Amino acid sequence: MAALVRLMVVGFIVLSVIYVCLSLYSRAVRKGKLRAQWHEEQPDQSLDAFLHEGLEDYDKSLRRKLILSVYVIPVILVSVVIYLTNFA
Amino acid sequence: MLGILRWTFWITVWLTVAAFFHYTLPQTDIVRITDTYESRENPTSFTVFWGPADVGPDGTELARDVFFIQTRRAKGDVMVYRNEDTGWSWPPYFKFDTSNLQAEASDLRSTEASPRFVAVKHYGWRNEFMSIFPNAISVRLVDGPDAPKGIPLLNIIILGLFAALVYGIWVRWRRFRRARIDPKLEAIEDDFSDATDAVTGWFGSWRKKK
Repeated sequence: MAALVRLMVVGFIVLSVIYVCLSLYSRAVRKGKLRAQWHEEQPDQSLDAFLHEGLEDYDKSLRRKLILSVYVIPVILVSVVIYLTNFA
Repeated sequence: MLGILRWTFWITVWLTVAAFFHYTLPQTDIVRITDTYESRENPTSFTVFWGPADVGPDGTELARDVFFIQTRRAKGDVMVYRNEDTGWSWPPYFKFDTSNLQAEASDLRSTEASPRFVAVKHYGWRNEFMSIFPNAISVRLVDGPDAPKGIPLLNIIILGLFAALVYGIWVRWRRFRRARIDPKLEAIEDDFSDATDAVTGWFGSWRKKK
């Protein structure tokens, strides 16, 4: 039982680190793209307002929620391995 | 001298990596199971080559009964496998069906006179000096001693992903070094040679003029 708890705790920490890094990276990429778009289209909005609006849209987007699969995929993998090793 | 150190370092690193994968990744042997047994083991040295205590019972007591599978391989030599849970710990096979596997292995026993061949998937090493045994993962009846072992797809995928990861890191490191570190080193070298010239020049001014 202790081994399961250890696996879950260590796994959660490692995956959280990956999740945070990936979130920050993805947001930075989106910000760069928005900035490029602003320079190209030259809208009436100021750059700050444009970035703010774009990132708020991003926060609601499916793409951002997909990063949660960092937690989901390993659980599925482990389940598949458990099935294949013990029951297949 | 620095070259030798550098080579020693990288050869050690890569041998360790290779040994790690060779120990951990699954391999298949075609064998004939001659017998199965259970033995009291108290692994106090080389514990890393033994599994954790079974998942069910209290795991604090180190000494425990371990299942073994005795075989003769199709090549002719003998091989003894241990049969232990890996449970929730390393390596991540998540094997909990040790007793079932032992039952299957016992069922597949055969004699030299009327042999039945079995593909044993396992990981780990047999080493007589350390008394360590590879851990059997699954057994499967096959047609004969020359039966195909199947393409090791899982190993190909894992090693491919690992190679991609190493290559990715290596490329980025090279790019980083070329852009950031090499110019700095060159600047330091230039400064250094300027300074050396100045010092030599200063000493030169003390020398007797010719």
